[in-house]
Amino acid sequence: MTSNRTFQIFLGLYISIFFLYLFGPLIIMSVTAFNSAEFPSITPWECFSFRWFNEGKIAYDGQRLAGLAADRDLHVGLITSLFIALGVVALSVPIGMSAAIVLTQVHSKLRTLFYSMSIMPVLFPGVVIGISTVVLWDRIATIGGEGIISELGRNGIFLTILGQTCFISTYCFLIFVARLQRFDTTQEEAALDLGASQTQVFIKILIPYLMPAIGSSAVIAFLASFENYNTTVFSILSEQTLTTVIATKVRLGISPAISALAFVIICLTLVAAVLYEFFRRRQEKKKALESAAKMYKEISSDRLKEDSKKAFILPKSIFVILFLFLMAILGWQQIIKNNLYGGECIAKAEDAKKSNFADQLKLLQNNADTLESEGGDGGTGSTNEYNDIFGDPNLFKNFGGFDN
Amino acid sequence: MGGFFKKNGSIISTFFLIAITFWLIFLILIPQLYMLDLSFRPNLPPLLRGGPDDVYTLTHYKHFVFGSETSKDAYNYVDIGVFVDTIGTAILVTIINLCFCYPIAFYIAKLATPNATRLLILALIIPFWINELLRSFAIRILFAGEGVINNLLLEMGLLDAAVNFIALDVALYTGLTYAYILLMIFPLYNALETLDTNQLEAAKDLGSSTIRTHWRIVIPHAKAGIASGSTMVFMLTAGALATPVVLSSPNTFWFTQLIYQWFNMNDNWSRGSAYSIILLVVSVAFVLLMMRIFRVTIGEVVR
Repeated sequence: MTSNRTFQIFLGLYISIFFLYLFGPLIIMSVTAFNSAEFPSITPWECFSFRWFNEGKIAYDGQRLAGLAADRDLHVGLITSLFIALGVVALSVPIGMSAAIVLTQVHSKLRTLFYSMSIMPVLFPGVVIGISTVVLWDRIATIGGEGIISELGRNGIFLTILGQTCFISTYCFLIFVARLQRFDTTQEEAALDLGASQTQVFIKILIPYLMPAIGSSAVIAFLASFENYNTTVFSILSEQTLTTVIATKVRLGISPAISALAFVIICLTLVAAVLYEFFRRRQEKKKALESAAKMYKEISSDRLKEDSKKAFILPKSIFVILFLFLMAILGWQQIIKNNLYGGECIAKAEDAKKSNFADQLKLLQNNADTLESEGGDGGTGSTNEYNDIFGDPNLFKNFGGFDN
Repeated sequence: MGGFFKKNGSIISTFFLIAITFWLIFLILIPQLYMLDLSFRPNLPPLLRGGPDDVYTLTHYKHFVFGSETSKDAYNYVDIGVFVDTIGTAILVTIINLCFCYPIAFYIAKLATPNATRLLILALIIPFWINELLRSFAIRILFAGEGVINNLLLEMGLLDAAVNFIALDVALYTGLTYAYILLMIFPLYNALETLDTNQLEAAKDLGSSTIRTHWRIVIPHAKAGIASGSTMVFMLTAGALATPVVLSSPNTFWFTQLIYQWFNMNDNWSRGSAYSIILLVVSVAFVLLMMRIFRVTIGEVVR
């Protein structure tokens, strides 16, 4: 029994460490987005502020650190990324679907070959896919001479869509294959027997059946394309996507604006996850209610009905909502206290830094001055005399001046 | 072929054929073959391509092994060193991930209640919806010279001076382990989920210790998952570019960074292609090795 107990504790500890490892860095990064210091950090906490979500700042030494709202590169990259992701979805979902359907129709030997070829792109490093797309299309563009082909072949967005479609189609393909494995082919046969044409069967039976797979593969394709860096960095050529912009920024020097961006993405992800879970639970409840309702009809017993009336209990989610509400109020107070963007605090910190900077400058100048005068002392005899002559104000005092 | 058209109707058959041909031939096959071809050709300006100088040569592969002709060393220690480093680290990261994830996957699959399972899986997925670059950036904030860990340790008085985690590659290894952990957990979880709990109980009743049960029953059952997870993690780590870009120290190179340099900075596309081919061959060889060791088919590896 005791060994079981220690095992439980050990397991609990292990799982906590694991999830701390997963979430710790993300939480810390999110917190740094609200620190007004130029370097993303927590421990020398300067001020709570939203500056990295807004205009960013111009540092006292003249370095410009743009915030999220003020960063033009980021906006352009975001739009390009969205455009590419839509293109990839439009190409890879139909490709994945066709390949999966055809896979169910080919046989034995050919089937293995076809399947192996279809999943190959997942086993290629993303870098390799990017490079191969670029070198091929550069060649095509050179051969194609002037005109649309050459323009396409040197268009980063077009190449990126093609490169990403190459392996994202495989993701879609695998999703469709999984769904098609459970497809009941007798449905098709029944429709054909009843006189439907092949096209009708496809549109009226297969497509509706595949609808969930189409939805999830579109989402997966969109996300995979949006996040991709390894392929994109080669195939994008002179354009910029969100990921390449981020990479450039990170390489040049790390700024809390990136933390702010990450925070926004984390929030969106959390909202999506909560919504997903919420709808799933609601659907499950709906199903459970429906089956319960069926049961009532079949055995209309009073006892069951009474139970259902009593069964009105507070959903647990209310606590989560309350907690979030409290957090929102606390956060709001903090914001009000700090005059919306923490302006006062920042100004103070800035002043402190400036005076610090000025002090240092003064100190440097003083040092330089003393050095200079010391240097003067150590100079040749003649300058020494000069110094003495002109450095002594009493000399002119004694002279009395010309006017008098 | 006739049967195919008859089965799907002509319009849809044509659509299928176009989509699949476009994908398999234009997006997968031809680019790779052309890159292979290019890797055997000298680096020429575009105008000279196809001219008399454009002959097959092994220059780029020779460069990888022996270095440039002007160098004094017998072998290209720099590039080979980067390559060995990359592959070695990738293997290490794969093993660490496997050991780290196995208990978690087992817990989620076999020990947790169904509700907890669902929550844990959701919690696992959330971090992986966030861009790899941003996740690496989070690690970088932790490990930077003025970063959170250094500041914390300094304030607690455990350190006298800041440790440069980036130069020591601690940050890189942590980041790489962090980056693809999900791709290890999910195959493991899927494999372990199908294990019949009765088998575990039977083993326990027959007096087998926990470790023995795992070694003799659970791990053999999960071998497809282990193969699949290890392959994915290895491939992605060896081919990673985003994490090394953010986290590697100035004097550490990842093989993909080398490729990037030949390709973009030195404008030597054919050498970049040759290095890509080397990476590709190693990746595919690793997959084949895993398939051989664990006796699984390629379909079980990629799922």
